[in-house]
Amino acid sequence: MTRKMILVDTSKCTGCKACTVACKEWNELPAEKTQLVTSYQTQKDFSPKTWTYVTFIEKYKDQTMNFLMRKAQCFHCGDPACLKACSSKAIRQTESGFVVIDHKKCIGCGYCTENCPFGVPKVDQTLQKSFKCTGCIDRVENNLKPACVQTCQTGALMFGDYSDLLGQAKNRLSEVQKTHPQAQLYGEKEMGGTTYVYLLMDRPEVYGLPVNPTIPLSLTLWKDVVRPVGGIAVGGAAAAVVIGVFANIVKGSYRSKDD
Amino acid sequence: MSPSFGRGAMTNSWSDLQNAEVFLIAGSNCAENHPIAMKWINRAKEKGAKMIVVDPRFTRTASKADLFAQIRPGTDIAYLGAIINYIIENQLYDRNYVLNYTNALLKVAKDYKFEDGVFSGYDAKSRKYAVTSWGYQLGSDNKPLKADSLEDPDSVFSKLKTHYSRYTFETAEKITGIPAVKIKQIADTFCEGKPGTILYALGMTQHTTGTQGIRAYAVIQLLLGNIGKAGGGINALRGEPNVQGSTDMANLFNNLPGYLPHPINTDQSIRDYQVRNGSVQEKPLVALLKAWFGEHARKDNDFAFSYLPKINPSVNASMVKLFEMMDKGQFKLAFNFGSNSLVSIPNRQLVRSALTKLDMLVVSDLFEVETAQFWREPGVKPADINTEVIMFPAAFVYEKDGTLTNSSRWIQWKNAALKPLGEAKPDLEILDSLFKRIRKLYDGSTDAKDAPILNARWDYGEEASALKVLQELNGYDETNGKLTQSLADYLKASVGTVSTGCWIYAGVTGNGNLAARRKNSDSTGLGLYKDWSFAWPGNIRILYNRASCDEKGQPVDDKRKLIWWDAANNVWSGNDGPDVVDKTKGPDTPEGKQSFRMNPEGAGRLFAANYMSGLPVVPSADGLPAIGVRPAGLCVDGPMPEFYEPTESPTDNLLHPKVSKSPVALILSSSPEIQKMGKANDFPHVLTTYGVVEHFCAGGITRNIPWLNELMPEPFAELSKNLAQKIGIKEGDMVEVSSARGKVTVRALVTDRLQTYKVNGKETETIGMPWSWGFASLSPGPSTNELTIAALDPGAGTPEYKVCLVNVRRA
Repeated sequence: MTRKMILVDTSKCTGCKACTVACKEWNELPAEKTQLVTSYQTQKDFSPKTWTYVTFIEKYKDQTMNFLMRKAQCFHCGDPACLKACSSKAIRQTESGFVVIDHKKCIGCGYCTENCPFGVPKVDQTLQKSFKCTGCIDRVENNLKPACVQTCQTGALMFGDYSDLLGQAKNRLSEVQKTHPQAQLYGEKEMGGTTYVYLLMDRPEVYGLPVNPTIPLSLTLWKDVVRPVGGIAVGGAAAAVVIGVFANIVKGSYRSKDD
Repeated sequence: MSPSFGRGAMTNSWSDLQNAEVFLIAGSNCAENHPIAMKWINRAKEKGAKMIVVDPRFTRTASKADLFAQIRPGTDIAYLGAIINYIIENQLYDRNYVLNYTNALLKVAKDYKFEDGVFSGYDAKSRKYAVTSWGYQLGSDNKPLKADSLEDPDSVFSKLKTHYSRYTFETAEKITGIPAVKIKQIADTFCEGKPGTILYALGMTQHTTGTQGIRAYAVIQLLLGNIGKAGGGINALRGEPNVQGSTDMANLFNNLPGYLPHPINTDQSIRDYQVRNGSVQEKPLVALLKAWFGEHARKDNDFAFSYLPKINPSVNASMVKLFEMMDKGQFKLAFNFGSNSLVSIPNRQLVRSALTKLDMLVVSDLFEVETAQFWREPGVKPADINTEVIMFPAAFVYEKDGTLTNSSRWIQWKNAALKPLGEAKPDLEILDSLFKRIRKLYDGSTDAKDAPILNARWDYGEEASALKVLQELNGYDETNGKLTQSLADYLKASVGTVSTGCWIYAGVTGNGNLAARRKNSDSTGLGLYKDWSFAWPGNIRILYNRASCDEKGQPVDDKRKLIWWDAANNVWSGNDGPDVVDKTKGPDTPEGKQSFRMNPEGAGRLFAANYMSGLPVVPSADGLPAIGVRPAGLCVDGPMPEFYEPTESPTDNLLHPKVSKSPVALILSSSPEIQKMGKANDFPHVLTTYGVVEHFCAGGITRNIPWLNELMPEPFAELSKNLAQKIGIKEGDMVEVSSARGKVTVRALVTDRLQTYKVNGKETETIGMPWSWGFASLSPGPSTNELTIAALDPGAGTPEYKVCLVNVRRA
């Protein structure tokens, strides 16, 4: 299967949240108890039972309102930090570009959660398994669009071959930039090129997205430098200490202040 | 719409929205309440279309707008009047269109007047207008006199010009709160883009001046020449619960199916009916009687006209008024199908009180909605209530065959996808078995009043078939029992030889079930999709499309060709079905010139004049009252839109303070203890109510779906940061919102999407609240209609949900 892409064109998103219902329906995820968070947003963050939600941002300046909606879900990175961080090789990347968790292997250690620059995977503490958007790989590999794309009525979500859709995204961007000069693509270069690529109406930080998301340096050091050596020379206890230290660094750097 | 264009329907279609160059979306939050609209609007925007949104709040729809204006609820006519004035003063109108396709040149009756906020013919005692002075000057042939130029002081155009000269941008700013420069910007943007379309929904209609607001749109669109064209029109976005279909089937109390006027108590015969409604209504009325009473409707018994109930024209029996009557003890039994009145009716105290006056209430719904549980609402003592409540479990939309007619007038057939759950039954089956059992009870009766029940043609099969119902609507050739093939066949047939349960649906099943067609190819590229389902009338996709051509019958817009006169073959032809009187009558014939054939003038009506076409010049020899051909649709509150303040308003009418509110609005007054009125001193803020995308109408279904409750778990009050600061609250705090009629406590949503604005120089606040909650369901919450006022548009009976006065404080 060729590499796929989903374009999230926020210039066309009206925040109807149909994508979030389609996701729960297809993936048989139960509803959770919510209340209004801010604006029309009621889902605060990802959870083992909420793999996608819509964020609402109200930016009022010079008597002009910018009411920004963005569907949030796993980016399915080209160079996924979660995959790198996974202690049990439970995470793999499909040919189509989606990053999926094998729940038979997952032990719920939470390294994926800690290392994802977007805070996507969440561990179900009862099941001791990590959950996130699968890209509806079960649909995609049967020539169907992901449930969220299938249900989107406004044209904000598009699914197709990576190279085709990226070209379309760039054309669309140049149109949108005529009225919104700050508009930009997000995910084209970030994290090795993500499968969900965004056309944002404003700078990523306005949406609360990291400006230059990267795989945590600690993780690179651990996986590419320390561990290859450690596997040979360092004993188990020492390794555990190192993991602990790095995990704390990661937590300090990448989790939002509210947490 | 009907008094302007001749048909009370959205002029264009969803898929036609992609052809617009500019949108004025005012009174519609389509991104939330008609999400599908955005698919087509986005396509037009991709091609560079501009989108203007005018709304009391910055909505999800507004988030996609190029130009947004925050308006004080209920003041639309003020800024629209200023735009009309601007178009006329700066000659931005389409001169050819105005001259040829509107009544601009017709001369208005000499005794027509508008003074101090009141039109001529007003009777203060009955609070009603006599409409005789709103007519034309007639010639000896009983036809309206035509002026030589638009400047003639008697012309409709001159009346329009004078009427709106009072509406300046500055005056409109003081009334609406929209800065004058912004109103000018809206006017310029909308006038520059051709074709331009206007989208509205309940934000425009739920006012005591709702009908007139839409009339203001009609005047603008007729002046700009935007009606009858692809990408133009006035798109009245009808709701998902088959709103278009149910109005087609006469859910309005003063209609019969197909928008036939309902017979009244002075109509002794079909002849009397025609005197009031024109000879044009004879055929559809007889065809309806044939459909309902078959062989019992014969020429010698006046086609069983006596079987039809007759209404009293002085009684307005619209939804809210019914509850007022119920409260006075008029009814013993009420059937409540698919409506959650206890949540949805304004000033719901009225419903709460009225339901206790019934002996029996039958509720048919999917869930035990609030209305079915009124006897155990918190605070109500079940022991005090004697009403017996019967619950019918209804099948869901996907569990039954039948059609839904969408806003585009597309009659769309669907098959049941699932068997109904448990004991649930489709509505048709419920009604069919009810009728059959009721008829049995009348068996053998010779009483004349029972004849309609015993003689009804009721033949939908042992197990009622929805297709048979649709075929009855399509109609039969009664001489041979075969289905009528097309609308043209129905029109050709002589009176009494053809039946149809709804004449505008003629042709829908003539040649197979055309409503079931699903071919979505569109060779025209205009989104006409003429092989997808069936659009009434006669599969015409864009109404009044004759007006898309010039005087010679050729399309004025090369990119968007709908129809044209094919001179070689002497016929109107085109991409769409031609909306003309007769396809063989060319553009130089009187018939071929008519662009709005359902109006007695054959033209669009800038001034909604009182007029009946075809009245004979010589009185008939038998001395009976004369029968004309076609009457004009009228607005009971004036021939031209005038701005009036809402029933509860924070200020006086700047244009005529002595007549501040609509002098003919219907305000429920029978129960003063229930319907209290508030003053701005006690209730200084304006409340506007609305739906949210996450819930549907009164929430009877959606509040029982956990996934939707997760997305919108509770009602709220949106208010500005200014107001929040004044009352000392922050986002997420609970607030108590109160009106003269009740109070509710909800969560505050503090937002910049609502701003403080100035009305007549005074700072004013709008508070917004969704209304979809009630005390029952998986997600109970207070009902906003605890606060609203039961004041109605005098023509349509639509309640003023969109404006009332409230106060707010920290809870």
